[in-house]
Amino acid sequence: MKLDVNALGTFYRMAREGTGLAAGRLTHMTDVETRAGVTKLNFMRGREIRRDFEDSTAKVGVRVELTGAIDGYSVIVFERENALRIVETLLEESATDAAVTTDDGELEEFDEMTKSAATEVGNIMNNGFIDGWADVLETVIDVSTPEFIEGHSAETFFDDVEEAPAGDDLALLFQSQIETIETQVGFSHYLFPERESMASLLEQLRASDGIEYDKLDGFDRMAERGAEEVAKTATTLTGIETSVEIRRLNFVSLETIPEQVPDERLVGVAFEFDGLPSGYLLFLFDEESANEIVDAMVPMEVDEDGFGQMGQSAIKELGNIMASGFLDGWANVLDTTIDHSTPEFIHDIGAAAVDPVVIQLGEEQEFAFVFDTVIVADGQEFDCEIYAIPDESDLERALNDLDVDRIEQAPTTAEFQDVTDT
Amino acid sequence: MKTYGTEPGAPTPVQVGISELTVSDGDDTLKSYGLGSCVAIALYDPETEIGGLAHTMLPDGDAAENSDRKPGKYADTAIRALLRRMVERGASYTSVEAKLAGGSDMFEFDSFGDGVGQRNIAAAKAELEKLGVPLVATDLGGDRGRTVEFTPGTGALMVKSSNEDGTQEVTEL
Repeated sequence: MKLDVNALGTFYRMAREGTGLAAGRLTHMTDVETRAGVTKLNFMRGREIRRDFEDSTAKVGVRVELTGAIDGYSVIVFERENALRIVETLLEESATDAAVTTDDGELEEFDEMTKSAATEVGNIMNNGFIDGWADVLETVIDVSTPEFIEGHSAETFFDDVEEAPAGDDLALLFQSQIETIETQVGFSHYLFPERESMASLLEQLRASDGIEYDKLDGFDRMAERGAEEVAKTATTLTGIETSVEIRRLNFVSLETIPEQVPDERLVGVAFEFDGLPSGYLLFLFDEESANEIVDAMVPMEVDEDGFGQMGQSAIKELGNIMASGFLDGWANVLDTTIDHSTPEFIHDIGAAAVDPVVIQLGEEQEFAFVFDTVIVADGQEFDCEIYAIPDESDLERALNDLDVDRIEQAPTTAEFQDVTDT
Repeated sequence: MKTYGTEPGAPTPVQVGISELTVSDGDDTLKSYGLGSCVAIALYDPETEIGGLAHTMLPDGDAAENSDRKPGKYADTAIRALLRRMVERGASYTSVEAKLAGGSDMFEFDSFGDGVGQRNIAAAKAELEKLGVPLVATDLGGDRGRTVEFTPGTGALMVKSSNEDGTQEVTEL
């Protein structure tokens, strides 16, 4: 089974189109104005999907079985609270039985009626997605009767699905946001296709030689090693105990990248890197975290407003060492050499820091693989978002050159740390 | 239709995301956040109070395959699409004026050449010139990010940027 950027681009358009249709139908049903927000296509291992479920928030989902152009399962998962709010809006709109809500008007439990309303919402959204996919693929996909699922753990949602990925298997995850005027209804959309059905779909969509699906494992290993190196160097340099909270490989259209950066002033360090692959690397901190880092790294009291000479050079130094660690992690997995530029300091609105990079890459490519990583500290402000955006053709080349057997033999480093459980 | 969070008398600005363009009229505000090297193109017809905002990221749409699908992504195709949609709504081509903001060069990377912001600025100016649309005000270049808010009814383009010390600068174009 092989895939290429064209095939992934089609999947991305499917996700986007599906979210648009799902948003439209939700608007129609609830009479609340909505629009499709950020859409991401992720590759995740089975164990990470399971880990996502272990954040102790209750979740509800609606699962359907697909047949036709795609065989497998499609599962929409909401946080339980979000699902309740949607159902509440829905029932208010249809002006039905007030008895479903408590005295303060808040819906707290799913009963038969609200359960069926939630299933209806999930089903309409599922159908929106699947109709969107069918449009993009110009084909027919049949959908089974929806199943309502409620629970805390991944087992409830996936364990009886044969196609669900085992610990080490990679799965495709569509992550979408539907926005109302002031709030966002986030949900995750998992697609577990049968391997054979996926293979024939990819075969059909592929426009170039592409890369072996199994080499995507190299991606994952790159993301893992890069993130670990960064957390390690950050801890060594600042004395702040840090760990990797999120690391995810997204495939997105370039213009989505600035949209997902927080809309506030951030402190950052940017690099260009050159080698196989070449690309750009950004470390972004919120102002509070940046201040803590300066305090930790500059021993004496500094009397300067904002980020002056001392503060800037401390942040740049940290960025520089984290960048070396990150890219060394990649180079080790890919068995190549990657050099990086001197750091560029930035203190500005988040999106403004990212758009130059997106523009430069946009001359040649429409989509990008983004290695999203978030590093956090326990009990202290140290939130660092890392965006690593390699040049697409370089990355494809690097992966193609990769010897998958060698990855298997590469030493497995420390287990992915579970900071959310503490 | 019920819309969440809207208060009477305080219209929510319409967000124009990167690569998007929107045409509107009257008191509606169109807003683009966090422009770095992107260029915001505001066109308006003072007589009919019809105008539009595009948040463009690349210079040359004529050379790109997907500019039909995403005209707002490129400076040249965005200007033409804005003009066409404004005229369709009743604006008169000959009275349309333009304002530009953005196109900063935030980083000095070797791979950026002359600067990605500069390329966008040049393309937007060239297309306006070609179509004979007068450019009446600009806030371009530099190395700071900008957030813009455009009101087609008055033609006012508010440009916000932040200084290094955290203070905000607002310029009205």
